[in-house]
Amino acid sequence: MSYVSVQHLQKNYSGTTVFSDINCEIHKGEFVTLLGPSGCGKSTLLRCIAGLTAVDGGKILLEGQDLVPLSPQKRGIGMVFQSYALFPNMTVEQNVAFGLRMQKVNADDSHKRVQEVLQLVELTDFAARYPHQLSGGQCQRVALARSLVTRPRLLLLDEPLSALDARIRKHLREQIRQIQRELGLTTIFVTHDQEEALTMSDRIFLMNQGKIVQSGDAETLYTAPVDVFAAGFIGNYNLLDAASASKLLQRPVNSRIAIRPEAIVLSRTGEPDTLIRSHSLLGNVIRYRVESRGVELVVDVLNRSAADLHADGQRLALSIDPSALCEVA
Amino acid sequence: MNAITRGKWLAALCLVPFAMFFFVFQIAPLCWVLINSLQSEEFGWGLANFNKIFNSRFYLQAIQHSLEISFYSSLFGIVIAILGAYSLRRVDSRLRNFVNAFANMTSNFSGVPLAFAFIILLGFNGSITIMLKQAGIIEDFNLYSKTGLIILYTYFQIPLGVLLLYPAFDALREDWRESAELLGANGWQFWRHIGLPVLTPALLGTFVILLANALGAYATVYALTTGNFNVLPIRIAAMVSGDISLDPNMASALAVVLVALMTLVTVVHQLLLKRSYHVSR
Amino acid sequence: MSRAEPGSAALYHRVVVYLLFAILLLPLVGTLIYSISSSWSATILPSGFTFKWYLQLWSDPRFLNAFGQSLLVCVGALILSVVLILPLLFVVHYHFPKLDALMNILILLPFAVPPVVSSVGLLQLYGSGPFAMVGTPWILVGCYFTVALPFMYRAITNNLQAINLRDLMDAAQLLGASTFQAAFLVVLPNLRKGLMVALLLSFSFLFGEFVFANILVGTRYETLQVYLNNMRNSSGHFTSALVISYFLFVLVLTWAANILNKDKSQ
Repeated sequence: MSYVSVQHLQKNYSGTTVFSDINCEIHKGEFVTLLGPSGCGKSTLLRCIAGLTAVDGGKILLEGQDLVPLSPQKRGIGMVFQSYALFPNMTVEQNVAFGLRMQKVNADDSHKRVQEVLQLVELTDFAARYPHQLSGGQCQRVALARSLVTRPRLLLLDEPLSALDARIRKHLREQIRQIQRELGLTTIFVTHDQEEALTMSDRIFLMNQGKIVQSGDAETLYTAPVDVFAAGFIGNYNLLDAASASKLLQRPVNSRIAIRPEAIVLSRTGEPDTLIRSHSLLGNVIRYRVESRGVELVVDVLNRSAADLHADGQRLALSIDPSALCEVA
Repeated sequence: MNAITRGKWLAALCLVPFAMFFFVFQIAPLCWVLINSLQSEEFGWGLANFNKIFNSRFYLQAIQHSLEISFYSSLFGIVIAILGAYSLRRVDSRLRNFVNAFANMTSNFSGVPLAFAFIILLGFNGSITIMLKQAGIIEDFNLYSKTGLIILYTYFQIPLGVLLLYPAFDALREDWRESAELLGANGWQFWRHIGLPVLTPALLGTFVILLANALGAYATVYALTTGNFNVLPIRIAAMVSGDISLDPNMASALAVVLVALMTLVTVVHQLLLKRSYHVSR
Repeated sequence: MSRAEPGSAALYHRVVVYLLFAILLLPLVGTLIYSISSSWSATILPSGFTFKWYLQLWSDPRFLNAFGQSLLVCVGALILSVVLILPLLFVVHYHFPKLDALMNILILLPFAVPPVVSSVGLLQLYGSGPFAMVGTPWILVGCYFTVALPFMYRAITNNLQAINLRDLMDAAQLLGASTFQAAFLVVLPNLRKGLMVALLLSFSFLFGEFVFANILVGTRYETLQVYLNNMRNSSGHFTSALVISYFLFVLVLTWAANILNKDKSQ
């Protein structure tokens, strides 16, 4: 039996339906990401699981127990918010100890557990500081510590890294994942950033307009998108309708095709029917805009050496591994 | 003198009319009051007036009444305002805008008109007095007493309190409440540990403003009791424009006491603020 | 942002807000009913309804006189305020920004010093001698200017900061305008709405002012509030009609200010 099971979940909000029939299963110890554009319902789903938003129908089972009739206090769920939500009138130590205080844990045990978890997030020296004295990244680590100290059954993270700058984001990503593995804590992570989703998750649920469009591990989601939306959201797919695909592959095609830019190979051997229109340097990748057999494509080439640099206007040959062709709905 | 400096001199000149009027109507009277509080007909320069005030049961009663009425009306007013402002934030926007606008308008309804309205409702023959008497809830109600005044003052403190506190609740972030909930706190515990501590500076500040508002209020109590109730503002005015004893120096001394009380309250507020914690940003 | 607002909590909040509304409304409703009832002595409800009190009120020359005098004094005070405060604000914010801090302290004075206290000094200083003004409307105009000052200063300051005075002036001057022209043609039109709102709100506040009016001038130049107080011994119905008329007038002004305010933020 799965650890978390969402069944036929329904949520309406002032007349509009946010989602009407969500179903998903999460296993114990898994790190799962809800990925999707703004407004797709991922945060709402998370908040329904936490009990912060009422549900209009369906069940949410945690270890077999239906959470829907329970108040947030009684669900045993930890949550980290995008805005940290640290209590400004308390020190770091008091913030982290708050959940234990509500559980009426005695002072000594509480202090010990707080120290343990502060060590986990590497903030033991900051115990006496107030939130306004901390940087964004430090605040987020305190928020994480606060939600971990109560040993929750499930950890929810609502775009916790979106407000931080790039370098800290990368560092915290790794730290969160490492802590999660160490504790074996079942975790649901919400983000709109595909790179975060791909690097951190065991499984990803891709959402759009209140529906789970595709679910699977990172590799599957990246290389085998099921529909136009998925192909457009993850990666930089070239999306071709049937007619253009037929022209390009020079054989009849009767569905839309998605091709990853890095799966297209440009070489000097072969029929030079591909024209380089423009290029931009992305650092380790050179992105070419080409026209091949009347079809416009984006091609990504690894910037290994001068041999990979092609001038605008040059003509080259193009080849695509058939396994990289994805039929999308 | 180049063009820029000349420009600045011209600009400074524009300040003169304002400064003149402000001085004549605000600063000069204040200075007069401060200086003449130390002058007395019998004793010349000195603290004779203040001596008299603090040794007279009559004047001490005025001070006591002022403090009591201000304190209780501000206390009741702020409690009602807290509950009102908090709920006001959580109802739908149409109701909220309407009641907000209404509170704005009723904050103008103070002074003489308000006193009259209360006489109609709660005077000896007032509607509500009669209703309560018939229901056996009260025996006799005297609006023109200290209790009546406290009720009246509380009434006009409420809109002011609501208007001042309403934006303060902005400081209370929703995700603090959610966080606390998930960590096991119920509503009461949230308010006790997080909500009230964070709001304390705003609450204290509003309380101080309400206190000052009540201490200096003249129109309402004058209209209600035709100047016959013993509070500081009435005493002060009676000594400069009444028909009995005119003693502007004594009035000045009383005025200084009034302003000193208001200043004291403000200073205490600032001290308390420093001791309580800080939401800094 | 969606929140779980269980039915019972939402109900509680609505009840509290309605209660608040009821408490604030009660004296007004009582007065309104009193003003349209033909007689209402020691009973819970009045015995009959009539508009005669309003007719009596609005045909009373003394009332109309008081109303007019109130209007005159308030409008006069506001004109004085505009003439004094606008240049002041402009000069402070454009030439001497450091003065703003000082100004913010100064405008606290009308709040910190209750009108009763000022009246003591005003009566002595201007009661007789070369500056005698007591008993004339002029002293009221001056005092009302100090009362309106904090409102107007703050409202227009906020407005000026929002429109970024320096940049506007600099741009206008680079395009050839003199300081005067820039102020009149560029800055002033942008202040119009904020100014209107400040004026309307100050007006409602001044119209209800009693302390200065009673102590400094009294019946020698009877304003509406003083008239109201002097009529206390006439029929309660009459005074109620008076109170309601006053309140309706102020209501219209604040409502207009509200509309303008909403307009501004769109």
